[in-house]
Amino acid sequence: MSGKVSRQILLYGVVCLAILIVPVLVDDAFLLNKYARYLIFGMLAIALSLSWGYAGILNLGQATTFGLGSYCMAMFLKLKTVPIHTGSDGLPDFMVWNNVTELPWIWVPFHSMPIALLAGILVPALFAALLGWFMFGGRIAGVYAAIITLAAMVVVNLIIIDQQSYTGGFNGITDLARFEIFGLTFDAYSASTYYLVAICLTVTLFLALAVSRSKTGLILQAVRDQEERVRFFGYDVALYKTFVFALSAAIAGLAGMLYTIIMEFASPTFLGVPLSLSIVIWVAVGGRQSLLGAMLGAVLVTGVQGALSETEAFLETWTLVMGGLFVLIVLFMPKGLAGAFEALVRRFPKAERKGGARHATEQTSKSQPHLGGAL
Amino acid sequence: MSLVGFPHIWSKNSSLAFAQDGEIKVGVLFSLTGTTAIIEESLNKATLMAIEEINANGGINGLKITPVVEDPASDPATFAEKARKLVLSDRCVSVFGSYTSASRKAVLPVFEKQENLFWYPTLYEGRECSKNVIYTGAVPNQQQDDFIPWLVEKFGKRWYLIGSNYIYPKEENNYCKKLLEGLGAEVIAEEYVPLGHSEFSSVINKFRSEKPNVIFSTVVGDSVVALHRQYRAAGLDPATMPMASLTTSENEVAAMGGDAAAGHFTSAPYFMVFDSPENQRFVEAYRSRWGGDKVTHFVSESAYFQIHLFKQAVAKLAASDIGPLAIREAVKGEEYKAPQGLVKVEPENLHCWLRPKIGQCKPDGQFEILTQSADWLEPNPYSAYPNQKCTAEGLKEV
Repeated sequence: MSGKVSRQILLYGVVCLAILIVPVLVDDAFLLNKYARYLIFGMLAIALSLSWGYAGILNLGQATTFGLGSYCMAMFLKLKTVPIHTGSDGLPDFMVWNNVTELPWIWVPFHSMPIALLAGILVPALFAALLGWFMFGGRIAGVYAAIITLAAMVVVNLIIIDQQSYTGGFNGITDLARFEIFGLTFDAYSASTYYLVAICLTVTLFLALAVSRSKTGLILQAVRDQEERVRFFGYDVALYKTFVFALSAAIAGLAGMLYTIIMEFASPTFLGVPLSLSIVIWVAVGGRQSLLGAMLGAVLVTGVQGALSETEAFLETWTLVMGGLFVLIVLFMPKGLAGAFEALVRRFPKAERKGGARHATEQTSKSQPHLGGAL
Repeated sequence: MSLVGFPHIWSKNSSLAFAQDGEIKVGVLFSLTGTTAIIEESLNKATLMAIEEINANGGINGLKITPVVEDPASDPATFAEKARKLVLSDRCVSVFGSYTSASRKAVLPVFEKQENLFWYPTLYEGRECSKNVIYTGAVPNQQQDDFIPWLVEKFGKRWYLIGSNYIYPKEENNYCKKLLEGLGAEVIAEEYVPLGHSEFSSVINKFRSEKPNVIFSTVVGDSVVALHRQYRAAGLDPATMPMASLTTSENEVAAMGGDAAAGHFTSAPYFMVFDSPENQRFVEAYRSRWGGDKVTHFVSESAYFQIHLFKQAVAKLAASDIGPLAIREAVKGEEYKAPQGLVKVEPENLHCWLRPKIGQCKPDGQFEILTQSADWLEPNPYSAYPNQKCTAEGLKEV
């Protein structure tokens, strides 16, 4: 068991190290910015893998919490810009456009960086905890929980578009200052911003790994496979599910904050249905029961997507090609790339004796009917 | 590991000239997939056609324009990513693109921080004063200054304002209300429906009970189609209660059918039927290049003529001087005989002097041009805010 754990930690460590040395090899602002964006998607995939792969909660609204984090950071950075219409003490431009005369109370705390950073993580987490408490407390599971997450996202999205005097509406929050902390300025195109994202990703990955390996993680997997039995053992199933749902939201919130720094704006499309469904696809492609697999799945899919759409031959058909690839992967690799990789490793008898890969696969097969129902 | 970073690492390329190997690269950034693809594809086509025309005539001082086409997929984040690629990786000297304000706002930081130049062909709400954008579409004063008084005189003083709920309709209405006040007209209702709204029966009931003289519609996208069709289905009469729009072009009319649009009015600098040798050439070239059933409209016309303005600006520069900011300086005050008539780039605010016209839609899906402004009209992106003015030095309080 301990050999297996250390081997896994080694593998995760090697991947994170590889991610961290990229700026040494790539001296190109555009590429670093693009790769950092992919890594943020990787964090989102980790977040979904935690709730979907480990606890069986298919969150079709993962982008909600991502967007909330993104807006928290955008509000903070917006208040740091000097508005061209109203001078240094003036209101953000879009508020002036909407005839708002004083800063709304909800914006006031975002003058403070510690509060804004905390809010970027806690607001999504609390939102998810509340939603989770209602859903899981009411023993709503499977496809119904998935629909509620989707509906909640649509509601939040509509509110943001509608309340344009507070949120910038359809255009989102644009024209932001650069993020500065401890005297460092994080320009979207710099190696320092790439490192910021890479370090957050590493911390997130190991935190998620630690949770998945903890007693809580085991209980969550048990919940995923046989919820009733775990309940009969006397565990508070709703509490465990709410916990992992909120943790997943906190990770997505952090990713959202980084996304605002990288993209230099926040938009209601960040908490849209297309992004949410994309996250599900990344995780399905990478392998939902492997945190690393899901993360690499996101990086791979978005990378291929970017490359394909920039290839002249696929300019008008790239969405079709991507769709075809997804269908093929889901048909022939139901456990994603991580599952395929583990199956490959299992062919070597030495690895099989250790039992690591087989253990994971057995869990997968056991949970299959359950997840099939969820989908 | 250093966290200090290298904020200027992209400058490793800056020694390279923009015009190289007999070509000059430009970005073309219109959605070819996603929700706004239908209209943006027509802008892509008009842009590429103008580039082909220039290249067929020997390019610019012997330099060929090479378009780098990207598909931002109707998604603001993808717009920002592709804009970055075009500016930083492809080193385009300018980028032509985007239709919605949301996507323009998403790409703005890229052009402002990288000191590049973006060319935006769509009419929009104004109130923007970027030094890195050339705006070739109309702003509120250009579409409304002639239109509103004309409608008041012809139909009356009771106005109903209906729009989609976002910044564009609100800004257009801000200016409209100012004009109406000056004319002694009355706004009996100002209503906003959610974007994409398609159920207008309650709105149409209010039209029926309030009996406005004019319905000023700044509804956009698919909602335009729904509003016109339901107005028609309700049996209301455009002869006594017309809808006046700033966004309904040949393109939207093609989507809703000429019957639903017939009798309503649009104000724009360009209509497909406009009679000028330049327009005849433009429409014929467009149809022979892209298909005989295709329509041109006021945004695709801007997408077309802005390439020619670009060409004229670049032609003034020595090959070694060609760069985004040199082009911006060179295009100031530049004039071009566009399909709509002679247009000019205003040196102060980088918007264009345009020639507004009032059109009435006919059942065949085309417009009949009823009047056109006597002269070109100055662009004033801050028309509703007389104490602010966009100048070459930035926004000024006056």
